[in-house]
Amino acid sequence: MTDTRLIHTVGVHALEWLWSHRDGFRLEPDADPEVGLLERFKPVGELALVCEVLFREGVAGARQAQLARQLIDHVWRETLDGGRMLVRGQRTEPLSPIPFEVYLPFRELGYDQPEVERAARLNHRLDSWSAFEGTPTRRLGLSAFQRRFGLTPRPPEADALARTWLARTPEPWTVEGHIAYAVTHTVFHLTDWGENPDGLPPHLADYLALWLPVWIDDWLDLQRWDLLGELLVVDACLPRPTLDERAWTAFAAAQQADGAMPAVHAMPEGDPGEVFDIVYHSTLVAAFASVLASSRALTELAHATPS
Amino acid sequence: MEQSGTSPLLLGTVQDVASGVVSALRGGDHARVADLAAVDGGAHSLVTAAVRVVGADLLLPDVLRGTPPDDAELALFTKAVQAYPPRRDTKPTVAWSHWAMRRTLRRLDAPAPGRPVGEPDGSWLIEADWQFLTQQLAVLAALALPTQDSTVFRVARSRPVDVARGFVRAVRRRDWQQAAGAGRWLTLLPGVPDTLGLEAGLDFVELMGGDDPRVALQVEAARRMRAGAFV
Repeated sequence: MTDTRLIHTVGVHALEWLWSHRDGFRLEPDADPEVGLLERFKPVGELALVCEVLFREGVAGARQAQLARQLIDHVWRETLDGGRMLVRGQRTEPLSPIPFEVYLPFRELGYDQPEVERAARLNHRLDSWSAFEGTPTRRLGLSAFQRRFGLTPRPPEADALARTWLARTPEPWTVEGHIAYAVTHTVFHLTDWGENPDGLPPHLADYLALWLPVWIDDWLDLQRWDLLGELLVVDACLPRPTLDERAWTAFAAAQQADGAMPAVHAMPEGDPGEVFDIVYHSTLVAAFASVLASSRALTELAHATPS
Repeated sequence: MEQSGTSPLLLGTVQDVASGVVSALRGGDHARVADLAAVDGGAHSLVTAAVRVVGADLLLPDVLRGTPPDDAELALFTKAVQAYPPRRDTKPTVAWSHWAMRRTLRRLDAPAPGRPVGEPDGSWLIEADWQFLTQQLAVLAALALPTQDSTVFRVARSRPVDVARGFVRAVRRRDWQQAAGAGRWLTLLPGVPDTLGLEAGLDFVELMGGDDPRVALQVEAARRMRAGAFV
């Protein structure tokens, strides 16, 4: 099992980078209609989800917790203009689930924007929303978010799950990058981003315990740090996480001195805004994997009997 | 035997020899390897070396069917055993593949050259991680035969999940030869996870890598053994 300090340090450094690059979380109010205003909301929502995990798990040090609080405050007040940009996004694309998806973690952290909530409740009543043609994994995520919001999920999560790749437990040798991301997100949604490991049905946990080590081995050797980080999150969601030492050591070594985690291979170079867009996700994932794995490692320590 | 460092000329001959075995496994004739051996001079030693690389699997069709081997083929096989005795410091896979060839001769009631040799040391495999285990087992796929016990077989039998993981790893890396060898072992091991999808997996390996007769040989051997074609 990996040294808990090494795992923890990855997250501390990642959060330092996210804080010092917080201006990268920016919207483009004048975005080309072909791209859409909502395109740049995704990083904000992901940041909120990861900060929420960090507060919830309670394994962050004082500095890390403080940075996370400052970050979440910053993006709510500055990037989202106190939630008003979510309203604007909703009015631009009334049926888009994105403002709701971004809003939910903020709401769970105590932020509030009544108009987004009204839109979510209305959209939830529409057959159009339940007929939304997203990927099966996204559909599962929407149903899970509806439950977390206090609505009855449409479709029910079990139905949404049944359509995912993971639910069918297919041949593990067919997995490639897109499928692997679908698997990781199915696990995130089933476990409420690691909060509820029991949300992962036992037969899926068994399937993942069998084959996840192979996928970790593979994407580690390919130096695809973004996907590897997500797979390390999945490991931390399993009943018996491996906290694979080889993978964590290489993952930590791939992290830059300033805390950035390259998405693949080495750090890209160029315009800071473009670099941010390439590595913010892998750095967020590094923080996410670190906090969940640290939490699981500490739990295991607490359960271990003195020898 | 491992293929690393094999010259292009030898590799081509290995593939010709393996191709002959595949043909025989599929019910075709045996003559091809003997035909190769009929040439003389330098090419003859090349064929002997190729037979040593293919190893015990050269006579797999006869072992599976319980038929006596072709005289010329048997002579070539025996010559390869004699010409390439394992050195004292040889790699475990080389020692084991040599042992497997001698065991095949015993099984076919043919005289084995030199002094009898016991099982080589199997300890290197017991501590191997699943990646190395699978890689080594794939090199020693000729030992994957039902009813023929060995330390290597016992290690494989005790680690079906690890070999299954290695199969997935080999397919992901498009190492079709390793995948085919691992797949052959898996057809014989109890406790292979159902979710592996082994049967379709072997067909996939054949589809993607079957142009190489060394891959086709392992897939065909697995298929024969799965069908219970062992006497």
